[in-house]
Amino acid sequence: MTLTVFYLLSALSVFSGLMVVLSRKAVHSVLYLVFCFFTIAGHYLMLNAQFLAAVHVIVYAGAIMVLFLFVIMMLNLNLAAEAQKTPWIKISAVILSGLMLLVLVASVKGAEELSAAQPQNDIGLVKNIGNILFDKYLLPFELISLLLLSAMVGAVLMGRKEPQPQNE
Amino acid sequence: MDTTEFLIKLILVISVFGISLLIAMYSTYAERKVAAFLQDRLGPNRAGPFGILQPVADGVKMFMKEEIIPANADKFLFIAGPSLMMLTACMTGVVIPWGGELTIGRNTFNLQITDVNIGLLYIFGVVSIGVYGIMIGAWASNNKYSLMGGLRASSQMISYELAMGISIIALVMTTGTLSTKEIVEQQSSWHWNILYQPLGFLIFLVCAFAETNRTPFDLPECETELIGGFHTEYSSMKLGFYLFAEYINMFISSAILATLYFGGYNFPFIESWGLSPNAVTIIGTLLFFGKIFFFIFFFMWVRWTIPRFRYDQLMNLGWKVMIPLALFNLFITGIITLWRNGAF
Amino acid sequence: MTDLILLKHELLLTALLLIFILMKLGKDISNSSFLKMSNALLLINFIIGFFGNQHGQMFASMFQTNELMALQKNMLNGGLLLISLSSSRWLNNHIHLPEFFMLIVATLLGMFFMISSNNLLVFYLALELATIPLAALCSFDLDKRQSSEAGMKMIMSSAFASGILLMGISLVYGVTGTLAFTEMSSLIASDHLTVFALILLFAGFAFKLSVVPFHLWTADVYEGSPVAVTSYLSVISKGAMVFVFTSVLYQVFKPMQEVMYQLIYIGAVLSMTIGNLFAMRQQNIKRFLAFSSIAQVGFILTGISGFSHTGAASATFFILVYVFSNMAAFAVAGIVSSAIGRETIDDYKGFYRTNPFLSWVLAIALFSLAGIPPTAGFFGKFFLLSAGAAKGNYVLITIAALNMIISLYYYLRIVRAMFMDKNETPIGSVNLSFNERAAIIICIAGILISGIWNGPFHTIHHSVTEAFSITPF
Repeated sequence: MTLTVFYLLSALSVFSGLMVVLSRKAVHSVLYLVFCFFTIAGHYLMLNAQFLAAVHVIVYAGAIMVLFLFVIMMLNLNLAAEAQKTPWIKISAVILSGLMLLVLVASVKGAEELSAAQPQNDIGLVKNIGNILFDKYLLPFELISLLLLSAMVGAVLMGRKEPQPQNE
Repeated sequence: MDTTEFLIKLILVISVFGISLLIAMYSTYAERKVAAFLQDRLGPNRAGPFGILQPVADGVKMFMKEEIIPANADKFLFIAGPSLMMLTACMTGVVIPWGGELTIGRNTFNLQITDVNIGLLYIFGVVSIGVYGIMIGAWASNNKYSLMGGLRASSQMISYELAMGISIIALVMTTGTLSTKEIVEQQSSWHWNILYQPLGFLIFLVCAFAETNRTPFDLPECETELIGGFHTEYSSMKLGFYLFAEYINMFISSAILATLYFGGYNFPFIESWGLSPNAVTIIGTLLFFGKIFFFIFFFMWVRWTIPRFRYDQLMNLGWKVMIPLALFNLFITGIITLWRNGAF
Repeated sequence: MTDLILLKHELLLTALLLIFILMKLGKDISNSSFLKMSNALLLINFIIGFFGNQHGQMFASMFQTNELMALQKNMLNGGLLLISLSSSRWLNNHIHLPEFFMLIVATLLGMFFMISSNNLLVFYLALELATIPLAALCSFDLDKRQSSEAGMKMIMSSAFASGILLMGISLVYGVTGTLAFTEMSSLIASDHLTVFALILLFAGFAFKLSVVPFHLWTADVYEGSPVAVTSYLSVISKGAMVFVFTSVLYQVFKPMQEVMYQLIYIGAVLSMTIGNLFAMRQQNIKRFLAFSSIAQVGFILTGISGFSHTGAASATFFILVYVFSNMAAFAVAGIVSSAIGRETIDDYKGFYRTNPFLSWVLAIALFSLAGIPPTAGFFGKFFLLSAGAAKGNYVLITIAALNMIISLYYYLRIVRAMFMDKNETPIGSVNLSFNERAAIIICIAGILISGIWNGPFHTIHHSVTEAFSITPF
């Protein structure tokens, strides 16, 4: 049962991930990405990490992707706006990414299998996440707050449209 | 999960679904009656006694209308929009505790479909994806007025979600749990959260209005500027879904408000009446619905009293009033929580 | 609480960040008084940085510090102060002055955490903290299209680099099962997957360091950004990356020295050669300095490739020299750019007739960058090359020496333009403010003193030996 659900979810997430790249319309890509996030949230649920799943949906699907959709709808991107690519660029991109894939597959194939750590079933619950976040991972947590603060300053700065009378 | 439990859950799911639809249906009727009352009119009174069959007539009318899909619309998304809207509207009811425990024979069962330990986050998640229904429908219509409505809806929802989230965090700090069931149980007798979180309640209430796109926050469907707003191109039952989903959302928001801040199915001194547990549960559930109806009435009351905001006023209220207030509330709550835990 | 002294540098910068935000939120302060206050604060920050440095670990050993790191942070602090002083003319006229300081302090904070990180998670977050505000800074000339373009290119290329880096990090995590540096180095074996992960990590680093072939963003970003930001990018950002590069390479990936050497070898040769060849063709002084900084990275990599204490010490010393020399060059370019608004090399023809002082400053800075003996640049390059030579690869050293000769050509071309060439419309005489004069004099003094006196190098070498004493080579 669990295995079936896992394969189903994985197939769906791979499919939607591919469709993000393959869709011709930007809005469709975004919607597939939202769907992909849902399937990933499903994976979190299967790992018994309900908190992560909920936060993933709220933050990614509910906030970030809505903003994406907002911007894309506002710009109203369509096919004509897409940059034209010459065949040479396409061919070289295919060759390069093919080589990359080859190297990746070859190196993964040769790797030793690492035995999985003992799974902890309750690691994803709110209490445990809170404890870990504010104890062991305190420094990264606080760093993120600084990161968001500075990103906010930058975004507000760039978002403002004021002429600069003093500067030439 | 054995069969009886499964059956009970199934019955519960179906009845919650049915009740949601029924209440939403009669909310449309109630809306018109309340409007009529506030404007000193009679309201619908032709279909059945007191016009009680009016919602049925409306439904039949909706089904009978011609179904139009614009030629340049994105067909799949055009249909997906209203469906998604309905889906998200109906999903939230799952974690709301509709009542205490009922004992029938040897079986005890809970009047809540499921008690997930992140119930509050679940609600919040469903609310936050609720905007997709509007945005997808608005974009798929290929109409600039629809698109404007959709953009307004999304920016409005995101702006007010922040304040709502922060007010919920303050609530969680006082309750110490994310499970809706536990939150309700903590509010037994008169210990309602409204007494501990008055400011938080106010913020939540305003944001609930904004999230359900009710007046004074109904800019996405502002007819004087945007014709019909995000559903300009919709007709027939797909339009019906959009309108209907709004009423379901209103019902669910009222239920959430009652659950989180007004004690859910609890009522002061109910335990001193000496009733049997089953009777207490049933009375509690009825009282819960009473609270819900009060809030639905409140939604309508506000709609027919307060005019619509201008867009910049809405944004100013959201970003410059609601979020700072919510942060202030969070800060105060944090200090009081620390003080009660003996930090000072 | 006594542990908090370990976090001293970071706490000070965080305090500065919050002070700047509060100053912005409070009453309207005129730009000149804001500038005075912020310079004073940066000076205090710089001075406190020298006292009470200890070594130790914090936060479940995610954060580590020692005397070498304190030294490196002090160098970066000093660099920031110099930037603030030398670009006071431009800053004074900018309406978003407080934001400049907020953002620049935030990125420096990210670099400090990056230097001190002992865990790939902290490292990555710190890297982002160092990068994202920097992109906003690149587009700080809000009314100039080029500046917005620079910000856009910066954020795009660094997002791409972060993606590659993250892929490498996840592979390393997959192979070793840990993110902590200290545990990781004992678990790393050189199988194919680790090599692949290492290449990805190296590529991520190379992007930030603008090592050829990952340098394509550099010239455009340097040209478009305001001069103050360009000098920050080329000196401080690059310096911090070099510091991290040495510590991560030398400690975490020690078992994979051979692979690493190959990568550095290729990167160094390409960077030196291509950086130099392109630098010769540039007309814009900022673009020219961008390509010359690519070439300089090639020399730094040569030193690092030695995999020795001398290698790490010479790279650190070179950054010190580089702070002074490049900062002096950028100070002159920035002053001329914001006072006159001219940036091409041809504009500098006949510069000596109108601005003899600035001409001499630029000449000394360029001599130092080229590595001509009485200046510090000579010793910087000398130590780098001798550290590289210790490995016994004389092909690399020969190429480096050839490149030094090529670089002499184009550095001296500017000197010739300033002193010998005639120009009908030379750049007018520029009056220097106290701040600018102070910054320039500090830079020149730094170049000359560390060129004659070997004290700084010994201090650095000593602290490098001390810092790496736990993990001998």
